[in-house]
Amino acid sequence: MHELSIVQALFEQVEKLAAQHQARRVVRLAVEVGEFSNVVPELFERAFDAFCQVEPLLAGARMEVRVLPLRLHCEECRGEFRPQNYSFLCPHCSSSNCRVIQGEELLLRDLELEIDEDKDIGNG
Amino acid sequence: MAEIRRVQVLESLLKANDYLAGQLRREWDEGQTFVVNLISSPGAGKTALLEATLPRLSDRYRLLVLVGDIETERDAQRIRSLQVEAMQITTGGTCHLESHMIEQALSLVREGPRPDFVFIENVGNLVCPAGYDLGEHLRAVLISLPEGDDKVLKYPKAFRNSQAMLITKADLLPHLDFSLQRVRDEALGLQPRLKHWIVSAHTGQGIDDWVRYLEEQRSEAFKSGEARPAGDAKSE
Repeated sequence: MHELSIVQALFEQVEKLAAQHQARRVVRLAVEVGEFSNVVPELFERAFDAFCQVEPLLAGARMEVRVLPLRLHCEECRGEFRPQNYSFLCPHCSSSNCRVIQGEELLLRDLELEIDEDKDIGNG
Repeated sequence: MAEIRRVQVLESLLKANDYLAGQLRREWDEGQTFVVNLISSPGAGKTALLEATLPRLSDRYRLLVLVGDIETERDAQRIRSLQVEAMQITTGGTCHLESHMIEQALSLVREGPRPDFVFIENVGNLVCPAGYDLGEHLRAVLISLPEGDDKVLKYPKAFRNSQAMLITKADLLPHLDFSLQRVRDEALGLQPRLKHWIVSAHTGQGIDDWVRYLEEQRSEAFKSGEARPAGDAKSE
């Protein structure tokens, strides 16, 4: 979709966390992108690389993108399944009462920040 | 020396949008304002659908239309010519509406009486609007006959995450090789609870049924019968 604006949202979130921890740089961050989130991982990574070029906070940062496959849970037979051929009907009992339990995520999972030790109070 | 610190976050990248959408929904519920988010590709007939829909509601309900476009006031002007209040939200390049844009537009009209229906005409795009909650009660996706009957599975999220589908420009059916059955089957495969109509804003086909559905959905949403709170209740 608009991977650049999603990366902008990611950057704003990371910026806040970096300020909280008085970090000077982001070393690594991990995001989860659902298969059904309409975000294309390759475009997302490219947009992120562009941010790394212009935002000193992200200079040299590595991003790990984990793609989460689409999974549904059937409320009738309690089975779980991955939709085949774009059918969201339960393949076990044909119920239409199914909800997405994975695959719509757009999530910042964790990150690693580089922090000057002298900014850490009570160290040692 | 520098320390590397690992921080667990587990937060949605859309959390700001979703939070604000939740606030909007609470405010709309308090005011018994039923909100419809219309999404489709450009030119599928969102504005034409509104031009057919609004006059069938405007004698009984207070209406407000929020129109999202990258540029120009053109669609809002079309709505205003029906004597219905319309606000244009020009996104200046963004391919979809986000809840903060709705919040900002509403802040300009909050002083007046609460509308019974708000129609949000999203930016013409079947990809991005599908990922953004605007606090609406009903999301309706439009697909027009000239677009072709193979569109549904190309944009599955738009159909999966809608409650209603309008197949528009029905009057063109004799001129096109378009399988209504294919569109219905594929859309219902993605979202078995999808309500759907075949409509023409031009001839009026199907519009009365769609309007009746909107009225029913509004009554259903607010059937607890709680009185509309007086004054300008805010959700915060």
